[in-house]
Amino acid sequence: MTRRATTSRRTFLKAGLAAGAAIAAPARLTAQPAPSAAKTIRAVMHGDLTVLDPIWTTANMTAYHGAMLYDTLFGIDANLETKPQMVSKWGASDDSKTWTFELRDGLKFSDGTALTSDDVIASLKRWAARDGAGQHMMQRVSDIAKKDDKTFQFILKEPYGYLVDALGKTSTPLCYIMRKKEAETNPMEKITAYVGSGPFLFNEAETRQGARYVYDRNPNYVPRSEPASGLAGGKVAKVDRVIFENMADSQTALAALQAGEIDFYETPPIDLIEQLESDKNLTLEVLNKTGNIGWLRMNFLHPPFNNVDARRAMLYLLNQEDFMKATFGNPKYYHKCGSNFGCGVPMENDANTQWFKEAPNPAKAKAYLEKSGYKGEPILLLQATNIDFMRNAADLVAGALRSIGATVEVASSDWGGVVNRRAVKAAPDQGGWNLFITWADGAAVSNPIALAGHAATGDKAWFGWPSDAKNEELRDKWATAGSVADKQAIARELQENAWNFVPHVWLGQWVQPTARRKNLVGMLPVPGVVPFWNAEKT
Amino acid sequence: MLAFIIRRLISTVLVMGLVGVFIFLLLHLSPGDPAAIIAGDNATPAQIAAIRNSLGLDDPLHLQFARWAVRVLNGDLGISIFSNVPVATLIGQRLWPTVSLAFTTIVLAVTLALAAGVLAAWKAGSLIDRLVMILSVVGFSLPVFVVGYLLIYVFAISLRWLPVQGYSPMSDGFWAWASHLILPSLALGLAYVALIARITRTAMLDVLAEDYMRTARAKGVATGPMLLKHALKNAGVPIVTVIGIGVALLIGGVVITETVFNLPGIGRLVVDAISKRDYPIIQGVILLFSGVYVIINLMVDLSYTLLDPRIRY
Repeated sequence: MTRRATTSRRTFLKAGLAAGAAIAAPARLTAQPAPSAAKTIRAVMHGDLTVLDPIWTTANMTAYHGAMLYDTLFGIDANLETKPQMVSKWGASDDSKTWTFELRDGLKFSDGTALTSDDVIASLKRWAARDGAGQHMMQRVSDIAKKDDKTFQFILKEPYGYLVDALGKTSTPLCYIMRKKEAETNPMEKITAYVGSGPFLFNEAETRQGARYVYDRNPNYVPRSEPASGLAGGKVAKVDRVIFENMADSQTALAALQAGEIDFYETPPIDLIEQLESDKNLTLEVLNKTGNIGWLRMNFLHPPFNNVDARRAMLYLLNQEDFMKATFGNPKYYHKCGSNFGCGVPMENDANTQWFKEAPNPAKAKAYLEKSGYKGEPILLLQATNIDFMRNAADLVAGALRSIGATVEVASSDWGGVVNRRAVKAAPDQGGWNLFITWADGAAVSNPIALAGHAATGDKAWFGWPSDAKNEELRDKWATAGSVADKQAIARELQENAWNFVPHVWLGQWVQPTARRKNLVGMLPVPGVVPFWNAEKT
Repeated sequence: MLAFIIRRLISTVLVMGLVGVFIFLLLHLSPGDPAAIIAGDNATPAQIAAIRNSLGLDDPLHLQFARWAVRVLNGDLGISIFSNVPVATLIGQRLWPTVSLAFTTIVLAVTLALAAGVLAAWKAGSLIDRLVMILSVVGFSLPVFVVGYLLIYVFAISLRWLPVQGYSPMSDGFWAWASHLILPSLALGLAYVALIARITRTAMLDVLAEDYMRTARAKGVATGPMLLKHALKNAGVPIVTVIGIGVALLIGGVVITETVFNLPGIGRLVVDAISKRDYPIIQGVILLFSGVYVIINLMVDLSYTLLDPRIRY
């Protein structure tokens, strides 16, 4: 007699428990005591942190990550003025060609090792190899020399007034200071260890790539004594842990915020703001006051936008109000802006903005387009359909162009497809393009050097490849200017010239309100990054 | 039987190989440049070109494929272009939330659906039967994300009984683990309950009309054993087939569910990788999925022999 194999309830239960234990095991092995909820901030930011090297990429999420664990030599304060951060004293020689910087006492990395001039010099060199402003600076630098462990010098070929501002700029990549051994990594390769001297340290054991990123208070951080202000002042970590939760779905993030499962949500959808305003447990606040600026890039290499009249036509054709209303709806969070450097910033000005006062003026736009020699050839517009602003703006640009008799072909793809195609210099019918839409950070736009898109260096310029010698002369002049007043005067000249050769068209400026639980206090308004030092839960 | 299993396992390897070639070509021939995405929007074309070069993305396609294929044959799925983390590690980190979700969903769906289907067949034509069929149509018709948001609104925000989102490993406690899976499993499982319940009802109605069921009733077999032991077992083949298909389809369904309920699973890993063009992750996960599909089908085929001894391989 043979006995049939059967599964009893007891066997099934045993198997179930074993399966449960197996599911639980990996987490049990890595489990560590976590700080209390009162000392932990859970935040949902605008996207996923895909790259951990803040010098290697210009992605904003990576800049946020960098601001948590690295410090900078200088930082801008709430008034957008550059202030010392890791530096205690600095000064220039009489001929302004030698700049000496002294580090603050007691600076340490989170692993406990002392931070010295060697770390700073290696970090500066790697950053300058990747950053547009850094490259502009290094063209004027003959050497960066160590004087002692706390002191280093910039030896310049010519006076360069932008030096300190470049070191403290908020446009990405920021000039973060790393350990020498990471900073000596080839700038074209990513670092693989993340140790900084900032207010937090990166907890890799608790981090789950693509899901959550964990930062613990850095016990070795030495904050400045001044009150925190922007990226300057004492960056005191008042909580033990900050977690960036990567939530792809905005509805889920909102529900989690309302239920108290997260404390902070950087980019709640504008159309749900009213719903959030009515929740007594939440606070809405704009932290990045300079916001973002919508951006239409035109391809200088191919007709019709290789002709200045066609580009001028776009200035007169488009109404910024339409672009802002289509995506952001509530005028409380957007405004029109005719300045080439954005509005609400020191370089804002109204030079040569007659077009802004007139636009939209379709008749004038049509006349300019005809004057450019345009004969109805297809204009190829790249549209990223997975990003609301880009999708809506492309529809509006196409509609406006068609309304004045232009032929428009819209090439729709996801943003990944647009970034791929916008790099193609071939003619539009051979895989290239005429127009694409993106946006830029307001603080970056305010700076003629920091924003790659302000350069008009032809083949070497940002996508669209504008070319204008006078623009480049004026950018250099702006960088060497000493005072803010001098810079503002040159910014006027730059703008006067820019709206003559029309490197691009801005589509309006908007700010993004953040939402947080009322018991989360001390969030600082800063352009460029979202700081979690100074923040605490009451 | 053993020869059949060996043949199917060999075909699994072949299928995975073909899927690998297809996915590699599809990804590399479709638009999208990971170097441009990595560099960020403010990067210049020269910086993007340097990144592309450092990642080996400007090498000829056959070279890139050969490099990847050799690594995979050595058991190495590669390293994420973006995060530098090995793909196997990323899959390992994301596997358990997905396995947990799939497991609870299938258990929930099969339990509810079998009960509902058997009940509907037993009470065919009655109010209960109609109610089960109406609920099945509703379950089919409602998209996962709508059910998900409704469940969140009612049970997480209004009643505060369950968490909105996230995943807790079982090491945090059974209730922490289960509480994070109840709503996602319900949302994801509803369509499968509907599908399996309808098939169960139909299969059971066929079996209940058979002569041997009439004989069983005439011999006085109690209703419970008659339905579960005689009828359900004989109706098992189509039901198991549908459950097998359901498990395979579940892999697609978990993507939306993981997004709505913020579960850090495999589904979100692959969707995020597609949007970033992180080729090694996409290739690794799809290879894994294709293997899982083939093995599920094999298990379904083998289960037929247990349910119906007349089936032989």
